[in-house]
Amino acid sequence: MFEWLLDPMSQSKILEGVLLTVEITLFGVLLGLIIGTLMAIGDIYGKKPIKAAIAVYVEFFRGSPLFVQIFLAVYTIPTLLNLKIDHAFLAFLVFGLNSAGYQKGYMKGAIETILGDQMQAGLSVGMSRLQTLRRVILPQAYRIVIPSWTNEFCSLTKSTAVLSYVGLMDLVGAGRSIIYGTLEVLPVWIVISLIYLLWITSFSK
Amino acid sequence: MTELVMEAKHVFKSYGKQKIKKGETCDETKLVVDAVRDVSLQIRKSDIKLIFGPSGSGKSTFLRCLAMLEIPDQGQIFLGDQELTKPEVDLNKARAKIGFVFQHIYLFRHLTALGNVELALRQVLKLPKDEARQRALDALKQVRVSDCVNKYPSQMSGGQAQRVGIARAVARNPDIILLDEPTSALDPELTGEVIDTLRELAKGGTTMLIVSHEMPFAREVAEEMIFYDEGKILETGAPSQFFNAPNTDRAKRFMDRIINRTAKE
Repeated sequence: MFEWLLDPMSQSKILEGVLLTVEITLFGVLLGLIIGTLMAIGDIYGKKPIKAAIAVYVEFFRGSPLFVQIFLAVYTIPTLLNLKIDHAFLAFLVFGLNSAGYQKGYMKGAIETILGDQMQAGLSVGMSRLQTLRRVILPQAYRIVIPSWTNEFCSLTKSTAVLSYVGLMDLVGAGRSIIYGTLEVLPVWIVISLIYLLWITSFSK
Repeated sequence: MTELVMEAKHVFKSYGKQKIKKGETCDETKLVVDAVRDVSLQIRKSDIKLIFGPSGSGKSTFLRCLAMLEIPDQGQIFLGDQELTKPEVDLNKARAKIGFVFQHIYLFRHLTALGNVELALRQVLKLPKDEARQRALDALKQVRVSDCVNKYPSQMSGGQAQRVGIARAVARNPDIILLDEPTSALDPELTGEVIDTLRELAKGGTTMLIVSHEMPFAREVAEEMIFYDEGKILETGAPSQFFNAPNTDRAKRFMDRIINRTAKE
């Protein structure tokens, strides 16, 4: 039932899958945080066209399936640009952009709860708005946002399953590939699920 | 005459105008709050002036206009001979020369007392690390909160926090310190601590404009008291004038009430 676990071939597939899933999640959350933070600031201080652009962005990435976003990125962008672009790179990018759509909301909420008095205090000592944002507002906002970050990690980690549809070997992709070779359906999915569970609990504790 | 540190000329500031949209039925004039109506004031080096008056009369708004934390609708604010109300002025640089102490303290919540004082020294005055630290420690010592150096605002008492707020304002050696009811959020005991700190600053020749209702303190340190009501300066004079015989009825009634209340306490 579980003898395939001893097969070096299966082991390397799983390892490859774990690495891709972990990498893409970390990268996605990080890129999402950077873009999300910038959009949150833009949404608070920006002029109307900037706010409108941000709203469209957020609605697109939150409102359409991640799978469709990845599919579009991998199969249409290279064709349109007439370029060969690494699928993994495009997938990484989409994960970051997608996560940014959610993280913008968390960051905006956090910044707004801090902004009033702390911005006044920052300006009163002679710092610029930008300095105050960087040194006073954002450090406090990140502390508020960290709990919602764990959610973002969980959901991104599991979303990596869609990567196997565009030919990338994430954990789910690895599982499928092992099943083709061994026909052990349930045991493989149990092992894969346990790995997900282990990884997710490791950072939510 | 000693050097002029800060001057306000015919300053106006009101709120609420923009919030009324076309077609709304509210009477526009009712919603507009004129917090500052044609207020002029001069503060010279080492002056200690005290503004007092009823809540909601616009004292805080006026103080914030002086620090350009609010931009006046009309009129001019001068810091030394620089006009701050000109559009091309770098307000961040100007604010660096003005110390401001808030009623509700507003310490940076993620930083210790030391961090609170140090931040502007590093970011604004661009002092090297060691020098900034030393100056911050000196400022905290001056307001007698050396025991709080490594405490966060949530771990301090209100009086300690407000004194850290004062240290944050004085550490840059600003030309003037504006204090917006620095003790009104504190109980009488903590108020005493903060007043002691202000008294020491006053002795050191710090130029201060204080919004406060601490009358014994006012009588002791203020050269001039300013009675502010409904967005205007109604009366200006030495503390003795207000304590003995204010010129205006409104100020007289207000003083009576404060003095009676203080007597009861």
